[in-house]
Amino acid sequence: MVEEPEDARMMYMSPSLSSLDYFMESYQARIDQLNEVRNKGTKVVGTFCLFVPDEIIFAAGADRIVLCGGRTDTIPIAEQSLPRNICPLIKSSFGAVVDACCGGKLSCPHVQLVDIVVAEATCDGKKKMYEILPEYVPTYVLDLPQKPGSSEALDYFRSGLRKFGQFMEGLTGNVLSEDALRREIRSSNETRKLLHRLFELRKQDPPPILGSEILSVMQKQFFLAPNQFRQGVSRLCDEMEQITTEPRSGRRIMISGCPMAAGNTKMSDIIEQKGGVIVVEESCTGTRSFWDLVDESKNPWTALAERYLEIPCACMTPNDRRIARIVDLAKQYNVDGVVYYTLQFCHAYNIERLRVQQALKKEKIPMLAIESDYGDSDIEQIGIRVDAFLEMIS
Amino acid sequence: MITVGIDAGAATTKAVLLVDRKIAGYRIASTAFDFLTAAKNLFGELIDASHIDEKHVEKVYATGYGRNTVTFANKVISEITAHTKGVYFLFPEVKGIIDVGGQDAKIIVVEDGNVADFLMNDKCAAGTGKFLEYTAKALEIPINSLGGLALRANYPAGITSMCTVFAESEVISLRARGVGKEDIAAGLIAGIAQRIVVMVKRMGLRQNIAFVGGVAKNAGMKAALEAELGIELFVPFEPQISGALGAALVAYETRS
Repeated sequence: MVEEPEDARMMYMSPSLSSLDYFMESYQARIDQLNEVRNKGTKVVGTFCLFVPDEIIFAAGADRIVLCGGRTDTIPIAEQSLPRNICPLIKSSFGAVVDACCGGKLSCPHVQLVDIVVAEATCDGKKKMYEILPEYVPTYVLDLPQKPGSSEALDYFRSGLRKFGQFMEGLTGNVLSEDALRREIRSSNETRKLLHRLFELRKQDPPPILGSEILSVMQKQFFLAPNQFRQGVSRLCDEMEQITTEPRSGRRIMISGCPMAAGNTKMSDIIEQKGGVIVVEESCTGTRSFWDLVDESKNPWTALAERYLEIPCACMTPNDRRIARIVDLAKQYNVDGVVYYTLQFCHAYNIERLRVQQALKKEKIPMLAIESDYGDSDIEQIGIRVDAFLEMIS
Repeated sequence: MITVGIDAGAATTKAVLLVDRKIAGYRIASTAFDFLTAAKNLFGELIDASHIDEKHVEKVYATGYGRNTVTFANKVISEITAHTKGVYFLFPEVKGIIDVGGQDAKIIVVEDGNVADFLMNDKCAAGTGKFLEYTAKALEIPINSLGGLALRANYPAGITSMCTVFAESEVISLRARGVGKEDIAAGLIAGIAQRIVVMVKRMGLRQNIAFVGGVAKNAGMKAALEAELGIELFVPFEPQISGALGAALVAYETRS
């Protein structure tokens, strides 16, 4: 049973966390910092995917920001060149690049901050979009094996990473030493461990933070400097460990599926407005970004190749690792239901829905599938489904 | 205890009056523009037609697309839950529900009177009452005669387009080729039936399926679905009120 919406919103409001302000405030500081280091000759790399290892970029003395688009207003610009029926993330990202390079005012200043894009051969839509991207911004494409489970895949990916490392040396004029790589692996692992600490706190019932708040933090991960980001997460964890939360009756929800790039918070917002309690996100803006650590005891190139090939993205086949991860997370976080969220026309995640549904059914965990784009036109329809789903699992 | 359920649907508003869990009256009217006005008027009519004083109505529960606009309701519930409760009341053996309304189509899996799973199509008009409304217009016939017409078809036309706008132009080109009204009507209905049956099978439903919503009044549609599924469907005496009935039932059952 769903209370009238306004009551629901009041009921499920979590305590306000003042340390969240840090993430808002650090945004401008980061832009200033990037402009400053660029003026001193540091190269800034723009990426679009978790498969491009930050460690290699930082070890070569460059900086990086992730450029994935979550805004809807850059989509019409992209549709002047790209088909309409591809995923909104690709269109939004491409539109932002085109807009920035053609002197437009729409996009955030991010695109102007990068010297080069390091793209990756993941889904078909992105791959083909990256073929057009060099018209606007220099682009390097990191290749990925599609069947990550084999030893050939590992060898191939490791050699691809080394090649990418050499490319970064050429770009920056720096030597990418193994020591620097090890240092950056430790640094990235530190971020991952902090995020584990943050997510661990969400296992509480109820969690001391909203899913939409976590999403805004996770989106900042891709823009802020690592130490700047860690400082914020660390403060947030400290604050969350201090507060006590009032018991509440909302159902515990896991979101699983496509990334929610900055600007796109629709799904999390609707679930929480309807009274659902989001406790974990299995997505690139959730667990996929930090769940696995890089083995610090191994040769760094091998360790990186191993860890990054373990990212359970639906562009990989078979993707049993993701199915197992979802079931495991659902149990660990004691969820009452899973909202399987996909972006419209994202074939990989849309098709993988069936296998996820089958696995969850076996575990008697209810699942609601939602396919949506960045527009607002379906908010009401999604709301009806979420209402019904929350009633169903009550 | 006296309760009222109001289903503020996209096309029609429905209200059911329940006295001690027995249907004491119901009303159906077009929603027009304003959900709240439609709901208020219908509630008034329902009470006026009964011998009940409005003061004795203990609870009003609302459901349907416009449920949140029904400000005089004590509570809102989703259509999925409402239809399930309403249909289960009428057919306790029900395992699944096909609800085709003015704006969406829903398939609900029912387990012991509760929602076990559901699937909705509401992003486009294909497979909904709207599709029939538009295509009936293209056939120049009133929507109510579409089903009867279809039952008289000899060679149902193949309508391949499930997009409402394209189907309309397909109907016009069939007319231009001299295909009869009956055959076009049957083709349209078979097209929607196939689309709905895909959803039904996707949810693993086989037996004890109820068909509700405004489109369930269409005899041709019922026949086409039954032919595709190879079963007989349960259709309530008034297929449009199961949501409102369910809301009134939940209001009755939720004692607080």
